[in-house]
Amino acid sequence: MSAPADPAPLAGAADLAAVREDYLDRLAASDEQGAVAVALAAVDAGHDTEDVLLDVIAEAQREVGERWAAGTWSVVQEHIATHISERVVAAVSRHRPAGGPTGVGRIAVACLDGEWHGLPARLLAEVLVRHGWEVSYLGSSVPAAQVAMHLNAAGPDVVAVSSSLPSRLPAARRVVEACRATGTPVLAGGPAFGPDGEWARSVGADGWAPDARAAVALLDSPSLTGDQDAVTVDDTSREEQALLQGRRGELVAGVASRLRDEPSEELTDDLGHLVDFLAAAVYVDDAGLLARFVRWIGSVVVPGGLTGDEVGRALDELATRLGDSPRTTALIRSDAVREACAGLREGTTEGSA
Amino acid sequence: MDSTMPAGAPLPTPPSGMRSLSARVLEGLSEAVVVTGTASPGGTRQIVHAVNPAGERLLPGLVAGRPVEHAGHDEFTAAVVGGAASFEAVVHGRSLAARAQVLDDPRTGDVLTCWYLRDVTEERLGSRSLHRAQARAQFLAEAGRALHGVLHLDRTLRTAVTLAAGVLAPTVLVLLSDGSDTVRWVRAQDGTRAVSGKLPRTELRAAPRLAEALSDDVPVDPWVTLELTDLPVWGGATPDGPITVVPVPGTIVRGVLVLVDDASDAPDGADDDRWPLAQEYAVRVGTALSAAALYREQAHLGEVLQGSLEPPPLPQGVDGLVLGSAYRPARESLRVGGDFYEVLPVTTAGQTPFLLGDVCGKGIEAAVLSGRVRQSLHALRLVERDPAVLLALLNEALLDAADLDAAGAPSVPRFATMVLGDALPAPDGSVRLRLATGGHPPPYVLRADGTVEEVPVSGTLVGALRDADFGGTEVVLGPGDTCLLYSDGVTEARGGPRGRDFFGEERLESALAGCAGAPAPVICERVLQLLTEWLAGQDHDDVALLALQAPAGPARGGEVSAPRLGLVRDAGSAGGGGRTEAA
Repeated sequence: MSAPADPAPLAGAADLAAVREDYLDRLAASDEQGAVAVALAAVDAGHDTEDVLLDVIAEAQREVGERWAAGTWSVVQEHIATHISERVVAAVSRHRPAGGPTGVGRIAVACLDGEWHGLPARLLAEVLVRHGWEVSYLGSSVPAAQVAMHLNAAGPDVVAVSSSLPSRLPAARRVVEACRATGTPVLAGGPAFGPDGEWARSVGADGWAPDARAAVALLDSPSLTGDQDAVTVDDTSREEQALLQGRRGELVAGVASRLRDEPSEELTDDLGHLVDFLAAAVYVDDAGLLARFVRWIGSVVVPGGLTGDEVGRALDELATRLGDSPRTTALIRSDAVREACAGLREGTTEGSA
Repeated sequence: MDSTMPAGAPLPTPPSGMRSLSARVLEGLSEAVVVTGTASPGGTRQIVHAVNPAGERLLPGLVAGRPVEHAGHDEFTAAVVGGAASFEAVVHGRSLAARAQVLDDPRTGDVLTCWYLRDVTEERLGSRSLHRAQARAQFLAEAGRALHGVLHLDRTLRTAVTLAAGVLAPTVLVLLSDGSDTVRWVRAQDGTRAVSGKLPRTELRAAPRLAEALSDDVPVDPWVTLELTDLPVWGGATPDGPITVVPVPGTIVRGVLVLVDDASDAPDGADDDRWPLAQEYAVRVGTALSAAALYREQAHLGEVLQGSLEPPPLPQGVDGLVLGSAYRPARESLRVGGDFYEVLPVTTAGQTPFLLGDVCGKGIEAAVLSGRVRQSLHALRLVERDPAVLLALLNEALLDAADLDAAGAPSVPRFATMVLGDALPAPDGSVRLRLATGGHPPPYVLRADGTVEEVPVSGTLVGALRDADFGGTEVVLGPGDTCLLYSDGVTEARGGPRGRDFFGEERLESALAGCAGAPAPVICERVLQLLTEWLAGQDHDDVALLALQAPAGPARGGEVSAPRLGLVRDAGSAGGGGRTEAA
């Protein structure tokens, strides 16, 4: 409630970048108190609370994710950083409490079943509260049944779901179906839904937002109605995806033993992800989804994990074992996936040369 | 019958034999026929050359030999003059359809037009009422789907008015009473968002019949009224058209559907099948509202019970102790299960009591027993602090309760395994734990340097035997050391590459070793995440994790320990992945 001392010259974007660097340093040192201090100081210096939440904390977390993907940070380091950021969000929220709901509407914010990265949804909830929404934050990994119960108990105007992993798309579809039964629109967000939100449309979501600010803008628009003709999930999706999920363990073990004499745990982990993404691609019937994953896994360094060379062979193995699933085999043999695999092999050759 | 062909209206120059023959053929036809043509060859004036009795019935007053317009049938005249191939008209309430057949007389060069007319009144009426019936059925079916998909009272109300606005009347209002002192109302106009509000029941004094419909069972018969215009539900736009009230029947809630027509555009009498439709609709709305109201009561009951059975939030701000937890019940939509944990507020002696356990069974029955165990312990703690003695007392209490239950509910689970104890932070930053266990997997200690040790403590199942034996022990946590209590849902989770291997102690130990240096909530979150990956979407048993940690020393981050603790100890929102926090 105390007025900021000298807000004008400080509240610049360049300045926030500096704050973010400072904040990242504190995360790197697992220094919770320091991270809280950096964020609160930025708010006190006159930066908009929303900017601190999104341009400092959310952006820093994106960087944390990249450091993990690049192999410079361990999983536990990433977890500690995320934990600290959650505390910082809570501290900022206590420091500058949002006003009460202004009657804009009521919204439920949830991470999809199996999605444990709760921070993006938590940040969206914080931002929406600051725009006058009455927000119910349901948490991370919320089963569709729980969303359905919430719909009946609280009757929100909109449900926002967040996920980082395309393997959660079947869970997204289940939420959409639960919401459709009550006529509640669904807003989807997070990398799970593709770079342009195409898979949000595939599963029948009524809207897609790349980030929290876009979500707020979209929710401001009068009508949020998806295009039911854009839904690509059908019976084949469900059948072949369920089959892949059911045979996941057997497929991973079988392919791993064909690739190496003594498969490492990292290899079976990566093969598990490969099967998950294949299942997601089959579910929304989009070879591009699998191709993206193939390119991504080639760019991530995990010692002992699936190498660029092995990806194509692993997919060939899977196609052989999944001959009864026409969409799955067609997807593996699609041009998009073949090109992605070929790109990996070239990349590997260049890298080793 | 000859008289229908009046003399002085001769057809143009047919041979007399032919004339009488065609006249007789025409008279005998049940189909209505009218012949028109120019009065004289090459002329422009159209006259009626012939009309048979059936034709006269459909176009009354039409007389052969007279100009086509003489009987005042405008549609007919227009069709003849315009040379149309067909026309339709409504004459004296009958619908008729006519088609033209051009008759060339090659001998005379005259062009005559023969009109075949048909009475289509019944057909048209039939198809219109069929169309209406279809529209009605479709409206009711859609309404049923939309209304019954919702089990939330306000949403159902909003849906009810939005669906009906523009169909049953331009403006639709629903008033709903649940027997309390306030009455909810929702109003919608065709194409606009529903507006809602509440008003005190006393406002209804001016509208006694309405008040009656909201408090008693009344037949679903509509009535027209003026007594509603003064109610504060119109948002400034007091209706000037007729207002019709249809009672909405219900068991838990009662309401009325109010249909407001525009004054200028009052529906005509032909539209009166609107009332049966409105009545049908009111019945459906009533069923949906009662279902929603019933669900609300049940859901509230469930929520209160669930809240009492869920693991309570960890205490905030315990000096010298960092807490973390994670919880995933087997049946996730239930949010409760047979695993339980609890950390109680610090006692006056500075101890923080805690427990983690698992009752046999799953789901709500198991949750009820876990609630009993926790409550018994709360009471027993008033007289006893020593963990091992507490377990022995709890054992007695559970056995006594089981004896009482035996007559009533023999199927209720009765046994539990658990670890319980208390934590006492010391001034040097260490934490002394007293632990006792009955039938539960022994806890682990993760040292600050990454070493993982199993705490050697064991005991028999709680609630099974009178002369049970419960082990007790003490553990000292140095700065940064963590003690992890877990349920067997962790180690016995089946998954992995083959989908059927236990997660096992070894994997848990290596998961813990990888967490060295992490705060207690992150350790629980990390273990739960690894476990979820191991399961890869397969079913699992209840999973509970509770971590107690002595805060890491002041060295890290270069901060003094006291203020640092002030932030770290805020463990309430911890265990990010856990269902508890999610709910």
